Amino acid sequence: MQQYSATRGQILKLLEAEGDTSQESIKRVSEATGVPEADVYGTARFYDLIVRPGPRVCQGLSCLMAGTEELCEELTDAGISFHRVSCLGQCDRAPVALDGQMTLTHCGPKGGISPDSSELAMNLAGAEDLNYPALALARKNGAEWVAEQLESSGLQGRGGAGFPAHFKWNAVRKESGPTKYVICNADEAEPGTFKDRELMSRRPHLVIEGLAIAAFCIDATDIYLYVRGEFPGPGHSLEQAIKEAAQHLGDFNFHMVHGHGAYICGEETALIESIEGKRGMPRLKPPYPTQEGLFGKPTLMNNVETLACLHSVLCRGGDWFAGLGKTEPGTKLYCISGHVQSPGVYELPLGVSLDELVQAAGGYVGNPMAFSPGGASSGFLPISERDRPLDFRGLPEIGSMLGSAGAVVINDTVDMAWAARWQTVFFEDETCGQCAPCRIGVRYVRRALDQFIEDGDSSHLDHLNDVAWEMAEGSICGLGMTAALPARSAMQHFPQGFSRDGEESHDG
Amino acid sequence: MEKSPMTDKFDITLNGIRLQCESGETILDVAKRDGTYIPTLCHDPRLDPAGACRSCLVEIDGQRRLQPACAFKVTPDLNIHSESARVRKHRKILMSLYMADHGAPLETEHNGDQLTRMARDCGPLLALNPVEAPRAARPAEDNPYFTFDPSLCILCARCTRYCDEVEAVNAITLSERGASTTIATAGQRTLMDTSCELCGGCVDTCPTGALMEKKPAKLNQVNPRKVRTTCNYCGVGCQMDLNVVDDKVIKVSSPEPGTTLNDGNLCVKGRFAYDFIHHQDRLTSPMIRGTDGQLHEATWAEAIETAARGLLDVKERHGADSLGFISSSRCTGEENYMMQKLARAAFGTNNCHQCAAT
Repeated sequence: MQQYSATRGQILKLLEAEGDTSQESIKRVSEATGVPEADVYGTARFYDLIVRPGPRVCQGLSCLMAGTEELCEELTDAGISFHRVSCLGQCDRAPVALDGQMTLTHCGPKGGISPDSSELAMNLAGAEDLNYPALALARKNGAEWVAEQLESSGLQGRGGAGFPAHFKWNAVRKESGPTKYVICNADEAEPGTFKDRELMSRRPHLVIEGLAIAAFCIDATDIYLYVRGEFPGPGHSLEQAIKEAAQHLGDFNFHMVHGHGAYICGEETALIESIEGKRGMPRLKPPYPTQEGLFGKPTLMNNVETLACLHSVLCRGGDWFAGLGKTEPGTKLYCISGHVQSPGVYELPLGVSLDELVQAAGGYVGNPMAFSPGGASSGFLPISERDRPLDFRGLPEIGSMLGSAGAVVINDTVDMAWAARWQTVFFEDETCGQCAPCRIGVRYVRRALDQFIEDGDSSHLDHLNDVAWEMAEGSICGLGMTAALPARSAMQHFPQGFSRDGEESHDG
Repeated sequence: MEKSPMTDKFDITLNGIRLQCESGETILDVAKRDGTYIPTLCHDPRLDPAGACRSCLVEIDGQRRLQPACAFKVTPDLNIHSESARVRKHRKILMSLYMADHGAPLETEHNGDQLTRMARDCGPLLALNPVEAPRAARPAEDNPYFTFDPSLCILCARCTRYCDEVEAVNAITLSERGASTTIATAGQRTLMDTSCELCGGCVDTCPTGALMEKKPAKLNQVNPRKVRTTCNYCGVGCQMDLNVVDDKVIKVSSPEPGTTLNDGNLCVKGRFAYDFIHHQDRLTSPMIRGTDGQLHEATWAEAIETAARGLLDVKERHGADSLGFISSSRCTGEENYMMQKLARAAFGTNNCHQCAAT
């Protein structure tokens, strides 16, 4: 049932302040908001940071390869209790642990970024421009001009799908009605991905200026920023930027919403549900958020990086931006972690190869065997694809995708069944549980991999491709559609790793 | 004249057959009217479509993904396939997954269990190992009428949506996430300690037998005769079906939603309080207390005459306004009318009242 209670959106914030899901806390939040107790409880129990607050150790693939198990032993020996949790978005400084306030307590060396250059659209090392010239240009030349620049820039949505950004903008622009919303999707949580974290920390004004341009363009007043709960620092940078640029932003209301520990809330309709104070379960599409989004109103939602590109798209022109790319328009923030010398975020022409990306990161460590081009959802590719352009259109041709461009390199010391198993654990931990293909399928796949790893009998994997097919066909959202890809692609590209019979398994 | 969008009529094609429909209808609405079977589990016509069980997915020309028939609204000239090879393959693997998640073997059919019937319709399923999902039950559930077995639950959320959308009681909710997702109350308290009114609508709408009535468990396998009747606990006139085996009422079930005034909804009394029917203490004939102080069986004529004589005696001795007539909240409107008529016309007093009026 569509219920748009004015106070419902507050329940997650109140619950986090309560610090637990005890009966007393639930009752207080229910009384404060008028939301039934059961609803408060069910919503609370969806979110990991509410259910399991406290110190956490990342068990994402990059951290596991860098020594999660050793870190866990170290913490246990020191008498520190902690939860092992899904990727914390710190793969460039793996392995990591956070304390209860989400501050890094244990990590490797700090990740690298691209050096300052005027030929980069976002330029992480560059200086911020507090004059918001792109917003001024937009106000001067009008929404139609902005839309034209956006179209000629060829900018593709940087959240993962890679659809031309102007499609969405125009779809919301043509919706009638007095109320529309803009949302910044800063719930970055794809394993291997940490670009938005750097962008928010280093160039928050690019993001805020982009949001203001978007709101101006679609005629919206209210702007929501949904920032991953495990990223308090980047969230704080954004809040500071809003204060610093207040003189340019008088006609907009900014709303900061902090996530509560659920990867699925990066899916745009789940994110909307979460802002509305509900369990983060994706909605059926159609209708799309551009038609019926936040509180049922037309909503424009863009990824942090998409919004951050607007500054240079408008200041230097759509054609300039388009010309930056190699196979597709623009420069792109590529994350790289795993077995490379200098993990980090590198802004490179869209369409560079893995070799070019790894070159920016100082080269490979050991003998590379496999890589994920765009996070766990993109599965694994053999290193023989190292020359292929890492772009939105090309990678789907070989059953993968660029996604969030969170590349992870794996060398030949790693057992691919083990790697596939851990990527699948991630999806099993993060599936919302709403639809059967994803909820049951991903658990089936993880257990099949576990059984194979335990006894080496490959017949455990007999039905895996059928189950993966159904997950792709039958799931409601993208999580379920791709959750079996790590296992399926590992089996496809590394069959030798899945045919042991009775042989001892080893881990990475 | 321009057509109003409310009555916009057009054709779609379902499995090669042209069908007329109206804007606002779903594919499932049109298929049902045509008699074309599309399997559903999370669908209940009283609820907003959830599209969560995925059993009604169909193929639509021009749509990259399979779409849920229960939620997808028709538009002119849609070309829909509900029995294509892709849809059949989807159903078969989906049902295989459900059975891997479901605690009961395919051969067992629970009362009201749509799931296993549907799974059997799909032909031989994939032999998937059980996934052993860690769904929790309420540890101290002690309500007198029904049980929840999480191992049989498929999380279609019909029960929680019914409790919210139809009853607006919100006693139960989806809780946890992923494979641990379960049906919970606030803090996993017993239903007796929540806003639950024990209406049992959740049990009635459950398609798998995860929610089960306690009483008729022994008679699970029988196919009872259903006798449609009107609930006599109050004047609303809810229709219900007495489930009868060997002339004994073993259970009350809801008529199909959309077919009766009460839309299949019942309250705790109508659904669960039927023990009196065969109770040994039930009066089956009128009784008159004799001069010996004991109750004696009588005919209706004797009983009515005795009551009438007593009332007339009071009227004669103390006047008509010394009498008062109160009718039960279980009476219908017609019965209440008769009661006030009796008070006013036969006894001559306006002292009449209906206990539900306060």
